[in-house]
Amino acid sequence: MRINILKLNSKQVWSSKIKNSSTLWLIGIFNVLLLFALFSGYKNLVNQQETVEHYSHEVRERWENRPDKHPHRMAHYGYVAFRNRFPLSFFDFGMDSYVGNAVFLEAHKQNTVNFSEASLSNGLLRFGEISAGMILQLLLPLLIFFWGFDLVAREREHGTLRILLTQGVSWQELILGKSLGLFALALSIFVPSVITGLILLIFNKFTSENLQSFLRFFFLIISYLAYFFILSVLAILVSAKAKSSKSALTSLIGFWLFFTLMLPKVSQVVGQNLFPSPSKIEFDTTVEQELIKQGDSHNPNDPHYKALKYSLLSTYKVDSTHKLPFNYSGYVMREGEKLSAETYKKHQATLVETYQKQQNVVRFTAFLNPYMAIKNLSMALSGTDYSAYNDFQNQAEDFRYKLAQTMNELQIKYIGNKVKTSADKKAIISKKHWSDLPDFHHQFLGLVEVFKNEIISIISLILWSLGLVFLVKYSIKNLKAF
Amino acid sequence: MEALLLKNFLRSKGLMTGLLILFVAGLISLNIGKHFLDKNKEIIEKTAHYQQESIAKNVEFHPKEIGLLLYYVRFGLVNDIPNLAGLAIGQRDINPSLQSVTIRNLEEQKYATDLMNPMYQMLGNMDFSFVLIYFFPLIIIAFCFNLISEEKEEGTWSLVLSQSGNPLKMLRIKILIRFVSVLLVLVLLLIIAKFYLAISFGAAFWAFILTAILYVVFWFALAWLVASFHKNSSQNALILLLSWVTLTIVVPAGINAITVNLYPVPEAFSTLLESRDGYHNKWDVPKEPTVAKFHQHYPQFSQFKHPEGKDYSWLWYYAMQQMGDDEAAKEALAFKEKLKKRNAFSSTAGMFFPSIHAQLSLNALSLSDMDNYLNFIEKLENFHEQKRLYFYPKIFTEAAVSEENWKKFGLEFYQEKPSLNWLKMLLPLLIISTLCVFWAKLKFRKNGI
Repeated sequence: MRINILKLNSKQVWSSKIKNSSTLWLIGIFNVLLLFALFSGYKNLVNQQETVEHYSHEVRERWENRPDKHPHRMAHYGYVAFRNRFPLSFFDFGMDSYVGNAVFLEAHKQNTVNFSEASLSNGLLRFGEISAGMILQLLLPLLIFFWGFDLVAREREHGTLRILLTQGVSWQELILGKSLGLFALALSIFVPSVITGLILLIFNKFTSENLQSFLRFFFLIISYLAYFFILSVLAILVSAKAKSSKSALTSLIGFWLFFTLMLPKVSQVVGQNLFPSPSKIEFDTTVEQELIKQGDSHNPNDPHYKALKYSLLSTYKVDSTHKLPFNYSGYVMREGEKLSAETYKKHQATLVETYQKQQNVVRFTAFLNPYMAIKNLSMALSGTDYSAYNDFQNQAEDFRYKLAQTMNELQIKYIGNKVKTSADKKAIISKKHWSDLPDFHHQFLGLVEVFKNEIISIISLILWSLGLVFLVKYSIKNLKAF
Repeated sequence: MEALLLKNFLRSKGLMTGLLILFVAGLISLNIGKHFLDKNKEIIEKTAHYQQESIAKNVEFHPKEIGLLLYYVRFGLVNDIPNLAGLAIGQRDINPSLQSVTIRNLEEQKYATDLMNPMYQMLGNMDFSFVLIYFFPLIIIAFCFNLISEEKEEGTWSLVLSQSGNPLKMLRIKILIRFVSVLLVLVLLLIIAKFYLAISFGAAFWAFILTAILYVVFWFALAWLVASFHKNSSQNALILLLSWVTLTIVVPAGINAITVNLYPVPEAFSTLLESRDGYHNKWDVPKEPTVAKFHQHYPQFSQFKHPEGKDYSWLWYYAMQQMGDDEAAKEALAFKEKLKKRNAFSSTAGMFFPSIHAQLSLNALSLSDMDNYLNFIEKLENFHEQKRLYFYPKIFTEAAVSEENWKKFGLEFYQEKPSLNWLKMLLPLLIISTLCVFWAKLKFRKNGI
C-alpha cells in the first residue's frame, strides 16, 4: 500500500465534495447544531451544578444549626443528598435525565432518589435529547453514509473506476483512500465540536476538582475517531459492493435505521423479558418480610431482641436494662439499623444485578452494532451512565447508614437510661456534635472503573476497526470494476 | 389506467415488503403495549392484596392507639390506566400510576418514584405511537420519493405525457393507491389493537384513530409537495429524509432543550427542604404555636387541645406533620406552576410540528401525558386530605382501633376523562397538510403539470 496513492485518493474525495455547495451547507448546519447542543448542554450543566452546590450548602448549614436535641431526632431530621453532574456530562447526556437528583436520607428508611428531569418533563423528552453525543452518534453517521454511498459505485457507473484500476491503483488503496477522505469530511464536523467542548470544559469551575475529566475527554475523542473510521470504511465497502449507487444508499440507510432505531429498542424489550425486575411494591414487600423474619425491634417479645437483651443483662450482671451503663434503646436501634441496612443492601444488589443483566443484553449487541458500542462508551466516559448513577446511590446509602449509626452511637454514649421522652433534659445533647458528622460529598467513579464497566464496548470498537481493515484486505477479490 | 397502476403496485416486491415490515413492526408494538398493560394490572392487584394484608398486620401490632396505627397505615390511590395507553405509553413508564401514602405529611411522599431500569427509559418503548410517528413516514417516503422521478429516470415520463390526457390524474391515482395501502395497514393494526388490547370504542379511541390517519395524511401531503418540485430521485429522497430527521429527531430535542433552559426547576429541591424543616424543626420549638397554626388551618378541630404540661400528644404530632405540608405549600405550588409552564410551552411550540403534535395528542388521549400526571397529583392531594379529615377527629378523641372497619380501606381509583378538544387536536395537522397540498398545486401548475 502506497501512502501517496492513499493521500491522492482521499484528497480527491475531499476536493470533489467540498466544491459542492450542499456539502458546505451540511457542514455548516451540523456545526451550528453541535454548537447549539454544546452550549445548551453546558448552560444546563452549570445551572444544575450551581443549584446542587447552593442546596448542598443549605442542607449542611441547616444540619449544623439544629439546636441541642436528642440524637435520634437528628437521625430523623436526616440529610438530603444531591447528585452532582460530571463536568463532561454536557457532551453526552446519556441517562442523566432519567435518573433521580435528590434523595432524603433518614434513619431506618431508604427513600427513592427523586426529581429526575424526565419526571419534570412532558412527552417531548422521549423523542431523545439533543446533545453533542447524540448528533455525533446518530446523525453524523447518516451524513457519512450520504457522502459515501456513491464514492465507488458512481465511479463504476461512470466507467472511471476501470481507468483508475488499470492505472495501477489497487483496490485496497482505493477503498482505504476514499474511506480516509470520507473520514476527513467527518472531522470537519467533529473537530470544531471537540475544540468547543474542550474550551467549555476548561471554563467550568467544577472541572478543576475533577482533573480526570480531561483524561476522559481524551479517550472520548479517540473512541469517536474509531467510530467515524468504522463508519467511513463501512460506507465505502458497501458502495464498492453494491450493484448501483442507489442500492448502496438504500442498504446504508437500512442499516442505519435498523441499528440505531430498531435494534436498541427491540434488544431492551428482550432484556426486560429475559430478566424480569420487581416493581417498587414487590421490592419493598420482600425486604419488609425478610426484616420481620429477622426480628422486629419494635416488638418487645421478639425472640432476636429478647436474646440480645438477656445476653446484655448477663454480661453486665444487672437485672434490668435501665441499669445498663449505656443507653439500651440506642443499642437496640444500632442493631436494628445494621440488620435492616444489610438486608436492604442485599436486595438492592440483586436488583442492580438484574438491571445489569438486562443492560448486558443491549450491551452485547455492540458486537453487531457499533452504534451501541459508542453510545455506551461515550455515556460512561461522560459520567452519565448507569454505573455512575448506581455509584451515587451507594454513596448516598453509605452516608445514610453512617449518619444513622453516628446518631445511635451518640445516644448510646450520652443519653441516660431512665429518660422517658426525647424532650427530657437528660435526653438532649449539645449541638456541637452535629458538625462532627462530615458533609456528604458525591465522588465520581475513577477512570479504571469506567473502563472495566465498558470493556465490551471497547473490545467491540477494536474488533470492528480491525475486522473492517481485514475485510478491505481480503474481500476485494469479489469486487467488480464494472 | 387505474387497474394497470394498481397491478403495477401490487406486483412491486419492494412496496409489498414495505407494507409487511410496517405490519410486523406494528404487531410487535401491540405486543409491547399488551405486556405493559398486563404488568401494570399485576402491580395493582398485588398492591391491593398487600394493602389489605399490611393494614391487618398493623392493626394487630398497634391495637391500642389509633394515632400510632395511622403512623404506619398506607392508603393507595391508582391513576387508572385506560387500555388505550397500551398504544401510547407516554410518560406512564416514568411517573408511577399508583401511590400509597400515610396520613403524615404528603410532600415527603408524593414524589416517590417506582423502580425502573433507566436504560429502558432512555432507549424508550417501541409502542404503537413510536411505530406510527417514526416508521410510517419512512415507508411513506420509500413509497413516494420517486413518484415522478422514477418515470423520468426510466424514460416512461415522456410516454405518460404524450399518451395520457391528464398526467396529474395519473400521479394522483398513483399516490392514492399508496395512501390507501398504508391506510389499510394502519386501520388493520388499529382493529387488531381494539380486540387484542380490549380498547373500548369511545370518543378517545376515535380521536386517536383520526389523529393517526391525519398524521399519515400529512406525510403523503409532504411527499406530494416534494414530487411537485420535479427533482431527481436522490434529491427527493434527501429532502424527505432530512425532513424526517428534522421533524422526528432534531426539532423535538431542540424544543426540549429550550424548555429545560427556559424553565429550570430548582423548586423541586426547595420544596423538599422546606417540607423537611417544616415538620422536623417543630420538635425543637414550643408546642403551642404549632398547635395554634394547626387550629388556624382547621378551625373545626379547635376544641381539641394539647394537654397542658404533657410532653407528647397525637394532636401535637399530627400538627407538626401538617406543618411539613403547610410550610412547603408555597414552594410546592410554584413547583407545580413551573411544570405547567413547561408543559404549555412545549405543547404550544409542538403544534407547528406534526410529529410532536401527534405524539402529544396521542399521549393526551391515552392519559399518559404530563397533564394527566399533574391531575393525578392534585387528586392525590385531595385523597390524602380526605383521609386526614376522616381520621383526625378519631385520633384526637382517641377512638378505639377496633371500632373502625379497616377492611373497607381498599385501593381507590382515579379515573380521568380525556378532554377532547377536537379543533386543537386535529386542526394543526389539517392546516399543515392542506398547505402542503396547496403549495404543490401551485408548483404543478407552474411546471405545467
